[in-house]
Amino acid sequence: MFRHHIKIGYRNLLKNKTYSAIKIGGFSIGIAAFLLITLFVKEELSYDQFYSQQDRIYRVLNVSTNPDFQVNEWPSFSAPIANLLNTDYPEIETAGRLIVRDWFLAGENQFRKSTENQNNYEEGFAYVDPSLLDIFEIKMIYGTREESLSKPFTMVISKKVADKYFPNQNPVGETIILNDNSEEPYTIGGVMQNLPSNTHLEFDFLLTFVGVEFWDGEQTDWCCQNYEPYLRVKPGTNIQQLEEKLLAIKEDYLLKELIDTENAFAEVVKNHRSFRLQPIENIHLQSGVIGDNFKHGDLRVVQLFGAIAIFILLLACINFINLFTAKSANRAKEVGIRKVAGSFKGELVRQFLTESILYSGISIALGTTLAYLSLPFFNQLAGKNIHIPMDTYWFFPSLVLLTLVIGLLAGMYPSFYLSKFQPIDVLKGNISKGIKNSRLRSSMVVFQFTTSIVLVVSALVVYNQMQFILKSKVGFDKENLVLLHGASTLGDKTKAFKEELGRLPMIEDVTNSSSFPVDGTLRNNNQFWINGQQKIDKGVSAQAWRVAGNYHSSMKMNLLKGRFFAEETNRDSFATIINQTMAEKLGLENPIGEQIWNGGAWDIIGVVEDFHFENMKREIRPLVFFKTRGNSAIIAARIQSEDFSKTMASITGVWNKFMPNQPIRYSLLDESYAEMYAETERTGNVFAACAFLAILIACLGLFGLSTFMAEQRTKEIGVRKILGASSSNLFQLLTYDYLKLVFISMIIGAPIAWYLMKKWLQYFEYRIDIVWWFFIVAGVLVAGIALLTVSRQALKLTFSNPVDSLRNE
Amino acid sequence: MIQLKNLERYYKSGFQKSWVLKGINLDVKQGEFITIMGDSGAGKSTLLQIIGMLDAANKGEYNFFDEEVHRFNEKKRTELYKHYIGFVFQAYHLIDDLTVYENIETPLIYRGIKSKERKPLVAELLDRFNIVAKKDLFPDQLSGGQQQLVGLARAIIGKPKLLLADEPTGNLHTKQGEEIMKLFKELHAEGMTIIQVTHSEKNAEYGDRIIYLEDGYVREDKNVNELLEKN
Ligand SMILES: Nc1ncnc2c1ncn2[C@@H]1O[C@H](COP(=O)(O)OP(=O)(O)O)[C@@H](O)[C@H]1O
Ligand SMILES: [Mg+2]
Repeated sequence: MFRHHIKIGYRNLLKNKTYSAIKIGGFSIGIAAFLLITLFVKEELSYDQFYSQQDRIYRVLNVSTNPDFQVNEWPSFSAPIANLLNTDYPEIETAGRLIVRDWFLAGENQFRKSTENQNNYEEGFAYVDPSLLDIFEIKMIYGTREESLSKPFTMVISKKVADKYFPNQNPVGETIILNDNSEEPYTIGGVMQNLPSNTHLEFDFLLTFVGVEFWDGEQTDWCCQNYEPYLRVKPGTNIQQLEEKLLAIKEDYLLKELIDTENAFAEVVKNHRSFRLQPIENIHLQSGVIGDNFKHGDLRVVQLFGAIAIFILLLACINFINLFTAKSANRAKEVGIRKVAGSFKGELVRQFLTESILYSGISIALGTTLAYLSLPFFNQLAGKNIHIPMDTYWFFPSLVLLTLVIGLLAGMYPSFYLSKFQPIDVLKGNISKGIKNSRLRSSMVVFQFTTSIVLVVSALVVYNQMQFILKSKVGFDKENLVLLHGASTLGDKTKAFKEELGRLPMIEDVTNSSSFPVDGTLRNNNQFWINGQQKIDKGVSAQAWRVAGNYHSSMKMNLLKGRFFAEETNRDSFATIINQTMAEKLGLENPIGEQIWNGGAWDIIGVVEDFHFENMKREIRPLVFFKTRGNSAIIAARIQSEDFSKTMASITGVWNKFMPNQPIRYSLLDESYAEMYAETERTGNVFAACAFLAILIACLGLFGLSTFMAEQRTKEIGVRKILGASSSNLFQLLTYDYLKLVFISMIIGAPIAWYLMKKWLQYFEYRIDIVWWFFIVAGVLVAGIALLTVSRQALKLTFSNPVDSLRNE
Repeated sequence: MIQLKNLERYYKSGFQKSWVLKGINLDVKQGEFITIMGDSGAGKSTLLQIIGMLDAANKGEYNFFDEEVHRFNEKKRTELYKHYIGFVFQAYHLIDDLTVYENIETPLIYRGIKSKERKPLVAELLDRFNIVAKKDLFPDQLSGGQQQLVGLARAIIGKPKLLLADEPTGNLHTKQGEEIMKLFKELHAEGMTIIQVTHSEKNAEYGDRIIYLEDGYVREDKNVNELLEKN
């Protein structure tokens, strides 16, 4: 029997080639998208899930309920934290500290073997306590977790780095010079396996904390928060209780320090600070509001993707169901005859389900191929590096399971629908009416077009927000600025270098600072008070940037009041220029001449107009400028030449003259600026791609449906023609029904899209309004495409000869 | 009104032509009631379709009100369907999704007549054909005879000059057929030109001229009165 079903199914597939192509085509596209997105979601959800002590590894977070803080959770603590955790808390098995952001040698460095002169720029340096090798279960290739970092000035490198610098040899014991500092050479203590792609940790060089003291007394000081502690608890520990016990840190150390220094901030800490242990597997997706230095995924994006995947699959299933039931008029006769011939209903259901599973099997095979072929494009779109896990034991069985599930899902309704036909109805010809007016089919088409319209509107909104960000006034001129990185090694030669660079004809201006209004440059956070109030109010937390005297003019910022720093080296050492927001937050109407205090007093000599130095998702925050003491990490040159490569060659020439051992490394500020919004752009691209797919699938379905309807209506059209209907009458008649459905979809889709995008835009402090024309554009686009899709059949029918359909029965 | 001269209609199959109609000469004057008869496959329907401009001849001349039909474009034909020609089919060809009332008013819609003015016209026909009670039913809820009444009502509501009917009673009982024929007679009396195809001698007697087709030729063209006199 089963073979008979397969045979009939296969024959039907070949008999109706157009329908089969549409069914399978739409299905395959849907499945390819579903597969890719599912893999993406799976990858995102798999972060940090591979530890043998999975449920015992945590990161320690500060939690502040103070509403004045932008960031309410952050992972940084003072240096003594690790010792404290290890000694005072018996339920903690081991704890260790990590620094990954740019800080001393953490972050990026010039790297060379002691035997060579040429420096190499490397990223991914972190300071760690040796215990982290154990907590993170780092796999060692050379050296051990216990020994590799136990001596001062030792480092562990990844296999990738080892292969690059020490191919085919054991590098343990080799000497490394960082940033030309041969006074403090590092020794390689071990080589670790490369970290997998699905961990939030991202580093290739681990520098030991053993023997490190960044300044005198730093390791025992509770003043500053630079260390991020991780820990592993003993089995059976009650985490909530431990979190409560940790409050002792606040009482015994944090508050004590603040009270000793008579800091008014103590009150805030006392009332609002607590601690939380974040399970390691939550760090990647659930750190949206946590201010740390890792690249994160976003649970919301993952959920959004997941929802879209399911929707696209649904759209594809709907096509299948619609075409199957639409075609059922033709199958009805078969059902009637089979029943007369003695087939039971169950047997017919089985037959149709077999057919549907056959289709789903073919579609999944094709869809998988399609997914495989479009993988590079998808990876680019999603900013990921996903591969199809062909080599795993579960992949192919899952495909088989998917085939069955989708086959049953899509085949269920049509099968029962078809097998319900009674022979008598079929022979009387009573079925065609019911089939034509199926309200269910209309609702499914409406569902498809509603989805399409929501996605098109979303893509439009995201695209326009992106354009708004890139084009809006940011408070400085981001074009034509080249940033030269790693310039701190210039040391005393900074001034000479700047002057020589400035003499190049195509260079308009040269300035320097470690902080620029793009991500990846130095940031900090300091508490400031109006001088004299430090013991009274809680102050304002602000960025403090050290910049050269011509920073504002080079950046083309707008000075609102007062003046910028003097160019002479020894002047304005205790002066500051603040931004508008800082002035507001301090409550100063006339800030010039006032003083601010943060352990030392600063004279306010100028106010600069607010400029965006962070993602526009955030409100502009307080910021102050101090005059740089000389060298800094970045030298910025504003260029005015058309010929970029020639300009860059000249700049490189000057650089190489000053720094023969360190290759030039530069970036363009406008590119870095755009990169800050890469995530937003990706979201837009994903919406656009999904909208395209949704429309494609919906239109494939519509095409099939209209072809079928056209077949059904040939007779009617013939009759209407000889009753005097003109071509345009008929065209309207044939397309009206579909346009009506698109119109209904618009009415349903518009508020949904409006609501969703309203929510999405709320992530941006600076955002566009959702305007009516987004909906008009989406509606016209979708209606236009739908019209094009159905008009082929409509035209064919309109211009057919009525005699063909009326001639003889 | 209608002049056919040396009309030919053939189908090509491979290198062969097979003639359905050959050398047809026919003159139809306004107000005539013509019956076309002949065996199955003789070409009756084809001839009627050519007259109704649903089909075109391969050769010969066809003048409709002294205009050459082969020069007509689609628009002109649509114009003629609207104002000059009505069709009745053996299989009724009603629109399944429309009620009796809606089926009948369809031609008026295409003529751009307003709903208010359509109403009395439809009502008049419903009344005349005795199907007022059925006006909100769908075609599949009617008997064959009732469906053909609707078909006829729809064909004549636009007051066409020419009514073409291809075996209008072919699917009906004798009694239902008679009813239709009586209506044809009435319409003829009112001045409508009618061309019908039928197998029934009895139905043919309602008209005033009979044309016998045989293998695509006109074998006989007779006046009914002559025929009756002969018997
Ligand atoms: N498309 C076609 N191709 C070939 N022959 C056709 C075609 N349509 C009709 N015929 C032939 O034309 C002849 C006349 O058909 P028709 O006019 O319907 O006859 P009648 O109505 O007198 O029974 C028939 O022999 C039929 O086989
Ligand atoms: Mg015939």
